[in-house]
Formats: sequence, structure tokens, C-alpha cells
Amino acid sequence: MSWRAEAVAIWAFAVRNLLMATRNVFFFFELLFWPIVGVVSIGLMTRFLELRSEATAFVLLGTIALSVVQVCQLEVAYAVLFDVWSKSIKHQFLAPIGVRHLTLGSWIVGMARGVVIFLILAVLGWWAFGVNVIAPGVGALLAFLAGCFLTAWIIGVGVCALITLFGNRAEAFAWASANLVLLLAGIYYPISVLPTPVAAVASLIPLTHFLDAYRAHYGFASEFSHPVVIGFGLAAAYALLAHLALMAAVRHARSSGLLLKMSE
Amino acid sequence: MLAIEARDVAKTFRAGWIRRRETVALRSVSLAVPRGAIVGVLGPNGAGKTTLLSIFATLLTPDRGSVTILGHDVVREAAALRRRLNMASGRPSFLWSLRVGEIVAFYGRLYGLHGATLARRVDELIETFELTTHRRAQYNELSTGLKQRLALAKALVNEPELLFLDEPTLGLDPDVSVRVRAHIRSLRRERGMTIVLTTHYMREAEELCDEIAFIKDGRILARGTADDLKRQIGLGDVIALRVEPPAPWLRNAPGVLRCADNDGWVRCTVDDAEKRLPELLRQLYAEGREVKSVQVKEPELEEVFVELAR
Ligand SMILES: Nc1ncnc2c1ncn2[C@@H]1O[C@H](COP(=O)(O)OP(=O)(O)O)[C@@H](O)[C@H]1O
Ligand SMILES: [Mg+2]
Repeated sequence: MSWRAEAVAIWAFAVRNLLMATRNVFFFFELLFWPIVGVVSIGLMTRFLELRSEATAFVLLGTIALSVVQVCQLEVAYAVLFDVWSKSIKHQFLAPIGVRHLTLGSWIVGMARGVVIFLILAVLGWWAFGVNVIAPGVGALLAFLAGCFLTAWIIGVGVCALITLFGNRAEAFAWASANLVLLLAGIYYPISVLPTPVAAVASLIPLTHFLDAYRAHYGFASEFSHPVVIGFGLAAAYALLAHLALMAAVRHARSSGLLLKMSE
Repeated sequence: MLAIEARDVAKTFRAGWIRRRETVALRSVSLAVPRGAIVGVLGPNGAGKTTLLSIFATLLTPDRGSVTILGHDVVREAAALRRRLNMASGRPSFLWSLRVGEIVAFYGRLYGLHGATLARRVDELIETFELTTHRRAQYNELSTGLKQRLALAKALVNEPELLFLDEPTLGLDPDVSVRVRAHIRSLRRERGMTIVLTTHYMREAEELCDEIAFIKDGRILARGTADDLKRQIGLGDVIALRVEPPAPWLRNAPGVLRCADNDGWVRCTVDDAEKRLPELLRQLYAEGREVKSVQVKEPELEEVFVELAR
């Protein structure tokens, strides 16, 4: 495939997800309501608990990261979910495209939504709770957001693979996966508070490292030696695995007939 | 030159993790489709028509057998093949909240179209299928007929050399079906497209197809032109007569394939009722016999399969 054809196919999915977003009644809730409710309620809790300002920053950063990951992850999962809901999935696999086109196209929209949410929550966090989430500077911020988006892509593609493998039954993963991240990636607490084996699992999640690196700028001693490097390393490995898993799932769906079953 | 060459294709669907269920959809199907032909796969529900078409369209991998399409192996070279074929189903489904124009454009992009080329192609297709006034309508607001026309428009977005149509006139009003069939014929005439369609309407297959393959229980039971098949399996229109006194020579009359008596009716299967009925009546009158009632009936698909299954 030429570079142009690659770009056009990726763009096709980006346009589709954007159009669907504008037609979705829940768009508003996903993009604004839940994330804002999250930051406001957690922020108020930090007040009630009379947390130091660094601790407040710690918790709010986690909350914001979770929102960004979740919205971007859902958008990637939509690449398959929209078609599963409409029973139209066979048409896109009839076309000469690869799974990379659908995951990258929807990821672009996911990142755009993620950036919008991040900015809104950053303003809210600063205005309501005096937390400046962009204080660490452009470089650190970009690495942090990249970490969030990569984590989201990995989870989203993993969800796509599960749905392609198990059909609609696996839909719940799209929403459940964010809670797993919530539990494990140290959103509200440093992972050192987790029992050792669980902490070991947590340290395998890229987002854990990106949060750790970013929070270091707020005076929290890093739990890892090179969190950003490790984070990107892990993310690259998982991204490859997730991609291969989705390819295998599509191949399996072509042979089991699930691709047809999900289209009738 | 063959567009499709399928040999001994078999497919069994397996479902269930604990209690395995197996459905044999195709047993051993061989089929050759010449380029530029319209070939019909005719059979009752559950015969394996959609399964066969899906294998040809690379949506389903066969368990056994080999399929070569436009010179490519359907499994190993699927990617190269996909840009040259397309498929539409009589029971289409697309993203509910996208608009007609957006749906065609989306699939156009998946085939690499962009910019002015894409816009032109979308306009053309929307015009050809008379969707202009519905261009901004969302998919879930469309009637069955409009959905089917959209499905055809989408299936032509990459100007395929090979087109698969799965029951293209399913559930359409007769006048709409006539238009769809006319369009299918024009695709072959004007663009030399090879078309494989499935149907369970005998007439449709007969009217459109150069060659028909009868499929039942995952097996092709008979193949050939409509006339070949009728001859092969002694299939034709049925003329039912009540004649006084009975005329035993009817079963040996020209064009009569076989005759059966019951309840005073003689049911003669003939090759062509329009041609044979006047001949028979003329002779019956000439002999001074009284023809009390006459009925002409096209063969039912059921009868076809009763014949074929024997
Ligand atoms: N995706 C699928 N998964 C499981 N079983 C299927 C699937 N598609 C078809 N079948 C089964 O295979 C058989 C043939 O189906 P199909 O090819 O759809 O028949 P037709 O199109 O001639 O009506 C049927 O028994 C059907 O239930
Ligand atoms: Mg069918």
C-alpha cells in the first residue's frame, strides 16, 4: 500500500469516529460530565481530608490521567464496537485494509478528545483546587500525555481483540478495563501501598511509570529509576502484542464465522 | 479465463466452548465461473449459499479445498484480492446514525479513494441508485428498498471486477426487484463485471443468470443454464387439465416431459407452457374432447428440490 492509501484508510476511520461522536447523545457525558464529576468530587474529598497541596496534586493528576485514558481507550474500542452494534463489521474487513488503519484512525480521534478533556480538567483543577497540572513544563507534559494515549491505545486494541474473538459478550471489557487501570496503575495512591505481588503487576503497566515520572515534578520521590524510558519500553512491547492479538482475533473470526455472525 | 475456480470447498461451523455444536455448511463444492458471466447460486434457506459467497469474498476461510479468484488464492492472497471485489447483501446493515453520503464515502476511503475522485464517485453512485433526495438521511431512517440500493451503491464504490450479491432482491416489492435486476444486467453489459448472486427465487435465477448452480445441504446438486437444468431434471412449467374423455396421448405429446393423473386432473410438465398449451388445446379440440378446466403453473422451487434430491 502506498503512503497515501495508508493515510486515506486511517483518515476514513478518523472521520467516521468523529461523525459518530457528533451523533452520539452520550458524547456530552463522556467528554465532559463524567470527567468533571470525577475531578470535582475527588477534589472536594481532598479538601475534606485537608490534604497538603502536593497530595492534592498527586490525587488530581491521577484522576485526570484516568479520564484521559478512559475516553481515548473507549474511542479506540469504538473502531470495532460501532460496527458490532450496527451489525456491519464484515464490510470493513471486506475492504483492503489492515487492523492498523482502524485502530490508528480511531486513536487519532481518541487523542483529540483526550487533549480536550485534559485541558478542561487542567483549568478546572487549577481554578477550583489550585493545582497547576502543567507546571512540570512542556517536555514532561508531552511525555505524560503520550504515556496516557499509548496506554489507552493498548487497552482499546486489547478490547477490540476480545470483542472480535468473543463477540458482543466481551463488550463489558470496554468499560471494565478502565477500572482495572484505576486499581493497579496507582491513580489515587503510590503503588508502594499495594501488596508486593500486586505492586509487581502494577509496575508492568506503562501508565504507572508515566504517572510516577510526572508526579516526581511535584516532589514525590520516583519509585522507579527511569520511569519514562521504562514506560515507553513497556508501551512499545504491549502495543505490538495488542496489535498482533487483534490481527489474530480477526483471522480467527474469519475462520470461525464470527465475523459473519456479528454482521447479521 | 476463469474469474472463480473453486475445488472441493468444505466448511463446518463450530460453536460452544463446553458443548461443541457443529453445523456442516458446505460439504464439497466445486464451481467454475468464467469472467464476465452472471452465475446464480440457487437453493433453499440454510443450503450454504451465503457461506459459499462469503468464502469467495474472503470473509470466511474454508476448512478444505482450494479457491482461486482472479488468479489469486483466496486465503493466501486475500489482501490483493479485496480491492478487486465487493459484495452486497439483501439484508444490509450499516452504521445506524451515519448518513447515506457518509456511508458511501467511508467505504470509498477504505478502497483508497480521496479528494475529488472520491466526491465524484460518491455523487455518481448516489445518482445512479436514485438516492439523491435521501443523501442526508441517516441509515436507520431508510426503508428496506433504500437500504438495499445503498448496499448496491456501496458495493460498487471500488468499481469491482467481481461482484457478489447475496439475495439482492430479498423482500423488495416486485417493481423494485425488476429495477434491481435490470441494474444487475447493465453492470455486466456496460462494465463487463463478473457477478455471482444467490437467490431462492427460481425466476430470478432464470432471468438473470447465464448459469445456475443448485445448492442444497452444502452440495451442488446440478449445474448449467436454466434450459440445461430443466432438461437435466425434467423441470418445466406445469399444465393441469381436466379433459373429457381422457387423452392418453398427452404424455407422449411434443414438449411434454412427464404426466401425472389424479382427481380427474392431468398434470403435464412441459418445457414451455406458452408454446405447448395452444398446441395441446388445438389437438384436444380437433379430437372433439371437452376441456373443462386449464391451469398453468410455474414450477415451485420446492418441486425443483424434490426432483433434485431424488
Ligand atoms: N457464521 C455462522 N456461524 C455458525 N453457523 C452458521 C454461520 N453462517 C451460517 N451458518 C449455518 O450454516 C448453514 C448454511 O447457512 P447459509 O450459508 O447462511 O445458508 P443460506 O445462505 O443458503 O441460507 C446453516 O445451517 C447456518 O445455520
Ligand atoms: Mg443466506
